Amino acid sequence: MAELHIIGQIIGATGFPQNSLFCKWGVHAGGAWRLLSGLKEGQTQVDIPQTGDMAYWSHPIDLHYTTKGLQGWPKLHLQVWHQDSFGRCQLYGYGYIHVPSSPGQHRLQCVTWRPLGSWQDQLAEMFVGGGPQLRSPDLIYSGADRYRLHTVGMGTVELELCVILRHFDRYGVES
Amino acid sequence: MADGWCTDTGESVYRSRDAVKNLRIRVRIQRVTSTAALSQHLHQQVLSQQDRGVIELDTFSSQTQAATSDAEELVVGWQEKFFSQYEVDLYQTESNCQTPLERQYHTEIMAMERSKRRQNQRIFTYTDFDRFSKWEEQAQSLLIPAQSTPTFLAELNLESRLITWEPSEEFIKNSHIINTPVQTMHIMGDLGPSGKLGLKENEYILCTIKADGNGVITIKPDFNNNRGAYRLETQGEKREVWRLYLENASSDIHAEEKEREQRMYRDLYTRHKDYLNSLVGQDFEMVRIIILIQTHFSAQGYEYDNLYVHFFLDLPNNWSSVPFHGLSGVTQTCRTSSVGKDVAFFSYPFSFETFFHKEDESDGSLPQWPVLYFKVLSLDFWQRYRTEGYGFLVIPSTPGYHRMTCRTWRPLQSGTVAELRRFFIGGAPELEDISYVRVPGTFKGKRLSRFGFRTQTTGSVTFTLNCIQHARAFIDASTLKKRRQTVLDQLGGHSQQGSVYNVLEAFQRARNRMQEARETLPRDLINTSAQLNSESSA
Repeated sequence: MAELHIIGQIIGATGFPQNSLFCKWGVHAGGAWRLLSGLKEGQTQVDIPQTGDMAYWSHPIDLHYTTKGLQGWPKLHLQVWHQDSFGRCQLYGYGYIHVPSSPGQHRLQCVTWRPLGSWQDQLAEMFVGGGPQLRSPDLIYSGADRYRLHTVGMGTVELELCVILRHFDRYGVES
Repeated sequence: MADGWCTDTGESVYRSRDAVKNLRIRVRIQRVTSTAALSQHLHQQVLSQQDRGVIELDTFSSQTQAATSDAEELVVGWQEKFFSQYEVDLYQTESNCQTPLERQYHTEIMAMERSKRRQNQRIFTYTDFDRFSKWEEQAQSLLIPAQSTPTFLAELNLESRLITWEPSEEFIKNSHIINTPVQTMHIMGDLGPSGKLGLKENEYILCTIKADGNGVITIKPDFNNNRGAYRLETQGEKREVWRLYLENASSDIHAEEKEREQRMYRDLYTRHKDYLNSLVGQDFEMVRIIILIQTHFSAQGYEYDNLYVHFFLDLPNNWSSVPFHGLSGVTQTCRTSSVGKDVAFFSYPFSFETFFHKEDESDGSLPQWPVLYFKVLSLDFWQRYRTEGYGFLVIPSTPGYHRMTCRTWRPLQSGTVAELRRFFIGGAPELEDISYVRVPGTFKGKRLSRFGFRTQTTGSVTFTLNCIQHARAFIDASTLKKRRQTVLDQLGGHSQQGSVYNVLEAFQRARNRMQEARETLPRDLINTSAQLNSESSA
């Protein structure tokens, strides 16, 4: 069996309309993959940057997977939320990114999008906040039925992941 | 008169893999008095003039031996409690002992008094359990505790045990700085005048030792190490000067113990490695060749808003895929973000795997790679939909991470009517066969002509792909150490490049066999054969 180590961090997010953000993240892999150690989901702290636009989380990711096959390569999905001064949480974006398959250090930008409602919803959102959310977060990385969604692009989340592969070349996988 | 003092009394840090309880320190203090200094000076002189036999050592040895209470030497172990005169006086009376620790001291002191063996007079220690240590540390607080208000998220999360709402002083001190639990020990010296021992004001710290759980030992001041004595000056009316020597008296580990320890560590690590290996297992799916690609993308530079992308993957002849596996897809409709850049982010997961069959060996060409065709469309509020662009992307033949930008174009019809229609109602000419974008599927001739086809450049789509290639042939390649072969060489093994390579490889194998055979031959045979060769070539 081959092993995959993912070591890195969710650095932060930039390009969102407001700055007080936190992120819920998770890693999802196929059936042939087994997680040996590490937490595969989590939630960062709320960060309010004093200067500049980027909210920094520096949230660590440290995972060790083992696999019997290549199908279902791990994917990292994210939900970026905004918390305002009254304590309300509002969804700011869904995003997902594949864990890179080539070993080494990768600096990745995961773009995010947010679903939009009708124009009445959008007007209400401007005053009261809130907004439609996906019924089930699986839709972020499944892709089916996406054509029914009407979305708007939001900011990007920056990640730095170091990927270490082990024994893949023994089975003839080149990456 | 006095030898050089060591003025560097900073602390030094040692690391030890051994348990700290094996630490032993030899402490020696000596009062500097005029007679002591003089006698020491003379002592040194005498030593240098030993051969002359003028001055006898014996006459001076009694003088160098100052009164016992002016010098003392003691070997102190880790957390070994030695009592000062003050403590002996204090704990002798039962009524002074309140805590169990003090009562224990009382019993020890009584036992000591009974047996009349007392190792130390002036030098004593305060261990981690004594009140002294805590006072010292608390007197040197480093931070002003700050108030922190709870955040909303934590309040919402009712079962969070992460936040302590009313932190105590101790907690704050421990949490604001990286705090590993540290055990402290102080070696003290009672530097009062001889005969008047046991006064608390005459206590001075000789040495502070801190050890934490990770094997880091901090000693302040450091061992003398032949640098000269440390100088201690007493406060009070009579300012006296004392010399302090610190020496490491710990015994080294025996060789066999060390060996045993190392063997134990090695066993532990191999066992852990075996355990991890057993978790990982041994099997892996074996296939012919598959390519696994994961993509996501973003689009920018388009005229209209609310874009979506419709794409599919075209597999050439020798490629196949798992049936029912989606090779095409439609993304969600995305409005371009107004924060700056006019980019529509799709973040659409599209991963697929294809298999390659190396059937026809007689085919002289390199294999064709799958092509991803896509078209960008816009759909607006009034349900008007327009084509925004067509493009294609050839899947790269090298594995790894690729980020590529493809520009798109859309077909134009001559005349203004078509453009007006597109603007007002929507709808636009589309390509019937999307493979026209690259090479039409129905094309069989030699030269492709697109004369008369008018297009207009529109925006671009950026793809990020992760490609993995998996082939059984790669295993053989790596075991034979032919890393320089890429996939192209493997697949096009029938081409000229491949045949040349095969010849080279066959030659290499023959050469290896010859060399092996040569080694087994006795020496003289090789020499004669060399002679024969030279004769024949001549």
